[in-house]
Amino acid sequence: MYTLEEYRDVMEKCSQCSFCQATCPVFLATLMESQLARNRLNLIREIFFEKSMKLTDRAREILEHCLLCTNCTQTCASQVPVTDILIAARQEMGTDKGGVRATLMGKVLGKRALPPILGKLGAFAQKIGIGGKEMPRFAEKTFDHDFSGQIAASGVQRAKVAYFVGCGTHFLFPDTGRAVVDVFSKNGIGIDIPEGQVCCGIPLLAEGDLEGAREAVRANVAILDALDVDAIVTDCTSCGMMFKEKAGKCFPQDDPIQEKIGRVAEKMGEATDYLNALGLVVEPEALAARYAYHVPCHRAWAPGVKDAPLALLARVEGLDYVPLDNPEHCCGAAGTFFMQHRETAEKIRSPRLADIRKSDAQMVVTQCPTCRMYLSFRLDDREVLHPLSLLLKSYGADSDFR
Amino acid sequence: MRSLSKDLKKLLGSDQVFTSPEDLLAYANDGTFYLKRQIPDAVVLPHAAEDVAKVLRYADQHEIPLTPRGAGTGLAGGCTPVKGGIVLDMKRMNAIREINKDNMTASVQAGVVLGNFQKAVERQGLFYPPDPQSMSVCTLGGNVATRAGGPRGVKYGATGHYVLGVNFVLPDGEIIQSGGKFVKQSVGYDLPHLMTGSEGTLGVITDIDLRLLPYPEDNLTLVVVCETLDQAAALVSAIIARGAVPAMMEYVIKLAVSVMNSQFSFKKPIPETGEAYLLVYLDGSTAQVKKEAEVIREVAMDLKVPDVIVEEDKNAAAQYWTARKNFFPMVMSIFKRAIIEDVTVPRNKIPAFVSAVQNIALARSVTIGQAGHVGDGNLHPTLMQLEINPQTTLQAKETIDDLIRAGLELGGTISGEHGIGIHKQEYLEWELGPGQVELMRRIKKAFDPKGIMNPGKIWTA
Repeated sequence: MYTLEEYRDVMEKCSQCSFCQATCPVFLATLMESQLARNRLNLIREIFFEKSMKLTDRAREILEHCLLCTNCTQTCASQVPVTDILIAARQEMGTDKGGVRATLMGKVLGKRALPPILGKLGAFAQKIGIGGKEMPRFAEKTFDHDFSGQIAASGVQRAKVAYFVGCGTHFLFPDTGRAVVDVFSKNGIGIDIPEGQVCCGIPLLAEGDLEGAREAVRANVAILDALDVDAIVTDCTSCGMMFKEKAGKCFPQDDPIQEKIGRVAEKMGEATDYLNALGLVVEPEALAARYAYHVPCHRAWAPGVKDAPLALLARVEGLDYVPLDNPEHCCGAAGTFFMQHRETAEKIRSPRLADIRKSDAQMVVTQCPTCRMYLSFRLDDREVLHPLSLLLKSYGADSDFR
Repeated sequence: MRSLSKDLKKLLGSDQVFTSPEDLLAYANDGTFYLKRQIPDAVVLPHAAEDVAKVLRYADQHEIPLTPRGAGTGLAGGCTPVKGGIVLDMKRMNAIREINKDNMTASVQAGVVLGNFQKAVERQGLFYPPDPQSMSVCTLGGNVATRAGGPRGVKYGATGHYVLGVNFVLPDGEIIQSGGKFVKQSVGYDLPHLMTGSEGTLGVITDIDLRLLPYPEDNLTLVVVCETLDQAAALVSAIIARGAVPAMMEYVIKLAVSVMNSQFSFKKPIPETGEAYLLVYLDGSTAQVKKEAEVIREVAMDLKVPDVIVEEDKNAAAQYWTARKNFFPMVMSIFKRAIIEDVTVPRNKIPAFVSAVQNIALARSVTIGQAGHVGDGNLHPTLMQLEINPQTTLQAKETIDDLIRAGLELGGTISGEHGIGIHKQEYLEWELGPGQVELMRRIKKAFDPKGIMNPGKIWTA
């Protein structure tokens, strides 16, 4: 459960070694030790346990100035679950002042519908570029406009999966959803896109809105657990992480919902990883292009996340993989982080962009929709897309879906 | 402290000065949590030597304690601001100014991260051997200030052996350039090497010239499975006596091996059949590496050591070394407190020290892990405790006293690579004697008459 008390003991395992300096994007962008996993833990200890310090505005800033990218947690040799501790602290802190952001997010993401005025405002803001600020660009039609219900496998059905559609695909990049559907169906995988899906809940957790996250988990798990499918897939690495690692921690251990969450988590797979494990049955056609791969930070929940896109795309003749100097460098987007901490996010993104620009890759693939969005704001000459969208291109599909 | 904040912001940019307690907390300790912690009054992040000079002049004039800091990964409390005052965080001074392949030297700012520097020189076929295990984050300035070293000490020595020049700022703001990009110099006192290991008590190191080597052509990792700790120690002495010089020779006990096996998904898990292990890394020409591997095999056979595994798979071998690097924080996933001792003994005294450590553990009823740079006599016996309370704290203190006494009796030193900081102050005279300590105090006075530079370190007052 996301209460700090539950993490009191494990926090003591932090050896203060500071090796998180090597991987914390916010630290590397600011080179301030206060902006580091180690200090965030020390601050939480002093404020919530020792009570030697107060939860001041500055303390909030430091605790909110974390991407929840999980890089420190993935590399912590003392195995301190830093990300979960930060999530728990945010529930304890409450949300942003008055909770405006979380309420708005809960409404939009939870209902899966954009109030028309907001959509228009967003489009307008984009057009005139309010303060030159980067804002999410909503697709003209949400994913469910074109796809829902059962989609049969073409040819012999090898497996049947439920497709959990994340908010990124639903609102921003329905083309990714189309790629999942087309590529899976082509390869003998039947797809069920159940109605009533809502946001996975991770943005709400990040905002400290545990109740909102719980509602989302309850709604999704009820739907997904009821389906008779071989697996559940998501194209979004953060949604997958939420189901696999975080959903259960939103409830007490003895809550009856844990069983359902456990079953859904067990079946949850990342789309490229699942497809790669099952194998392609339809050979892609040759496609001459050079692509780079931006590895999403939320990669640890499924061990194949890092390699599956490369393994799948290696099947496409003429498609050359261009390794980046540092393929796992965070891009700084982190959900809504880039809108809340623009300066830091840009500092994190700029070496990532430089790395891409100096490569001769013509396009960049990544599974994460926010990475895709945030990188494409500044990559006019290179397309950023989901690996399955690139695979779909090699199957001869028209690529201008969006 | 309002005026301190205002004054410092007037000297430097406001994004270089932080004074809120939430920021300052980050600078209250180094890589230890069991030594004294102290929140400073301000932290300043200079961009250039001139920034450092401005802050020093100010601190000197107002007699404000000033503690330079690299990554804060030290293990002796060296950069803990025990007297408060200003912490000078050097990490933003991180430019590699030059890697000169023709001259085999590099010039860097003090805040350059060791691991980044090593990658940069290796891209040019060059080699910078010193390898404190915090290399992914620790800074070259911190390395120089503490004479840091690591496993490669056995063949390549420690940081001090690579320092050619040091630029530093004196408390009165004067910038001194000592040494330079030459491999020898016989002009006056050897200031670059006086600054090396000075732990921030004489001045602030801002720029460093370092010596480089060509990157070795080949390498090979061996895992030697030994029956007992004593056998492993005897093997080390025998290997060195036969003239084989591994680049790294690490000592690992069974407990450590099983922790490593369980926490790292090794391609090839290490067989847990021995009580002690040597993790050996040979480098050099292919012929030399092969020859040394053969020597080790022969010596092992003579001593009836059960198994010598030659790991030809470079990826599998690399995993062992990564696990070794993470050993210290990894221990913390099991124990509440792990105090890493740094006593270093002459290499022919390694077997004697290993048995002394076992006797101390037995006599004090404590767990002492032996997992260190055995090849250079820097064994890092690590006291590991499951509970922290006044009794175990006293036990820790007494055990460390014993370890240090045992090391000195064998002609060793109280610190091989961590420094004195606050951790070893009371033992300083045990090793140096009052005369040498007094001489050092006079040197300190000449550099820092008002005593603002990292006060409360090396000696107590």
